[in-house]
Amino acid sequence: MKKGDRVLAIICMGLSIWLILESLQFDYLSEFGPGPGFEPFWLGIILGILSVVLLVNTFVRQAGEEDHKPRLPGMAALGRVGLIMLLMAGLAFGFNTLGFIVTMFLFVTLIMFTLEHFSILKSMLYGIVLSGSVYLIFGYWMEINFPIGFLGI
Amino acid sequence: MDIFANLIQGFHTILTPYNLWMATVGCFFGTIIGILPGLGASATIAILLPLTFGMNATSAMIMMTAIYYGSKYGGSTTSILVNVPGEGASVVTTFDGYAMARQGRGGVALGISAIGSFAAGIIGTFGLIFVCVPLAYFSLKFGPAEYFSLIVMGMLTIIFVGGKSVVKSLISAVIGLSLGMVGADAVQGAPRFVYGIPQLIDGIDFVTVVMGLFGIGEVLVSAEEHMKTKTVNVKFKDLWPTVRDVLDSKWAILRGSVIGFLVGVLPGAGATISSFISYGIEKGVAKDPSRFGQGAIEGVAGPEAANNSACSGAMVPLLALGIPGSGATAVMLGALMLYGLRPGPMLFTTNPDFVWALIASMFVGNIILVIMNLPMVPLFAMSLRFPYHYLYPPILMICIVGAFSVNNSVYDIWVMWIFGIFGYFMKKYDIPAAPLVIALVLGPMLEYNLYRALALSLGDISTFFTRPISATLMAITGLMIIAMFFKAVRSKRSMLEEEEN
Repeated sequence: MKKGDRVLAIICMGLSIWLILESLQFDYLSEFGPGPGFEPFWLGIILGILSVVLLVNTFVRQAGEEDHKPRLPGMAALGRVGLIMLLMAGLAFGFNTLGFIVTMFLFVTLIMFTLEHFSILKSMLYGIVLSGSVYLIFGYWMEINFPIGFLGI
Repeated sequence: MDIFANLIQGFHTILTPYNLWMATVGCFFGTIIGILPGLGASATIAILLPLTFGMNATSAMIMMTAIYYGSKYGGSTTSILVNVPGEGASVVTTFDGYAMARQGRGGVALGISAIGSFAAGIIGTFGLIFVCVPLAYFSLKFGPAEYFSLIVMGMLTIIFVGGKSVVKSLISAVIGLSLGMVGADAVQGAPRFVYGIPQLIDGIDFVTVVMGLFGIGEVLVSAEEHMKTKTVNVKFKDLWPTVRDVLDSKWAILRGSVIGFLVGVLPGAGATISSFISYGIEKGVAKDPSRFGQGAIEGVAGPEAANNSACSGAMVPLLALGIPGSGATAVMLGALMLYGLRPGPMLFTTNPDFVWALIASMFVGNIILVIMNLPMVPLFAMSLRFPYHYLYPPILMICIVGAFSVNNSVYDIWVMWIFGIFGYFMKKYDIPAAPLVIALVLGPMLEYNLYRALALSLGDISTFFTRPISATLMAITGLMIIAMFFKAVRSKRSMLEEEEN
């Protein structure tokens, strides 16, 4: 936890410097009060102070029970999370080209097949049921315009 | 008389087949999603937000409040049957609820929880009417300076009260404020942090952020492992509490309802604190406090009533002032804005039909919930045994649909994707997401009111300290900061003393 907090403090410090530098591109004051640069500048300063407090705290405070627990899960669990996000990214890439129904079908099928180790047939069946149901609810019933792919669906 | 007439009008609006159906659907889905371990009210509302797309604002908000109440009830089910609280507010319920379940009284615990929640919901909604209306009319006196001070106070309360670490809550809020700056600024219309991406000119869409942080982020945490839940079986015949059980719980329910409402009104305090206070009071007034933790029915009835009543309390600052007091009400505020409504005092004068229909829907929603939940608890409990790997793909799909349908654009799916990863790591590193969401909603209002207040006072900063209401709010904020500082110093001192000993 302490290590994690240190990493977090360093990231926040970087963010704080970036906010301050960006704020310099805008007017700090306007005619009667703050300009567009006012808020980012002060938020950068506050974030910088907070990151220093967080960092110092990791050195000052006594390690508690929480500090000995790993914050991130093992590689297998991280792999599952990574794969879900990768599949979702693939879905976003293919959404307009392949169309809503096909991408959703592929998304669910691949999740069930790769992550949940379902047979390909069972995964496909679940993919068909879910993509069809979601399309019926949102596309047909709620009339949301989903993209149609080159297959015409 | 006005209140009564308006409420009758509200009932006329809600008691149409369509709106009743929406309230029922909201209660059902809210309970079902809220039952999933780890998913609290904010996540449930965020995930189910797309279901309201395409509806008129009144029906959409009726459904959202039904989801809100339903998710609270669903959260208690997991606390009692699985010992896994859906969110902070349900933690206390595990103390005696799970103990009751292990003694074969899980059904009774769920039953008394439903009855307590129903009674608290009704009491809380009456409280909402009698506090919200005068407060809304009083806040018509608010100018930009008062709003600025109120937003500062509200945000600080949320930060100080919620989360394990004040520093992390503050970081979360600063990030939320920073995200709120993206797009054209309120002063000169200058595009900030846009980097040539045209979609960013309008800012980062609230819905995509919320669905990413709460929806995708929570699902990722739950999907890490092949999750298996050990539930305690509940049979329909075991569900009804006896007359003795109800009599034993009646004062606990009443006390919990009052405490819940009063604490719920305070920004940031909300359901979690009220449930802990209620538990503490019940234990304090009990003839035999040693029963608590061993399956005392008052230990379930009081906190459950308190956390449900707090939901009504949390609607007070949202409706009367336009300030969300919790993550869940922040999501609801975002939803209101999505439908072109601006919560706050003017809502009562510009959209009275909407406000009163919403209030009436809380009465109706609570009745639907208790009618639905008592007989359906075994079914809801069964859904806990449904493997999680069947459940998370449809949740992800709903989030994707929701993000896409904001602007019919894949860009929003990407934004949600980024915030999904962000939400996952925030959860892992104990950074609360609620301050970020609240700051994202309130940030632009904060900046706009700061600018307007200074423009009206010709740049005189003392306007925040000389106007009576603003000065009072600022004084409360100052006192809170001082109290927090002393609390931190005291805890540090006691830690050092412990080390020396």
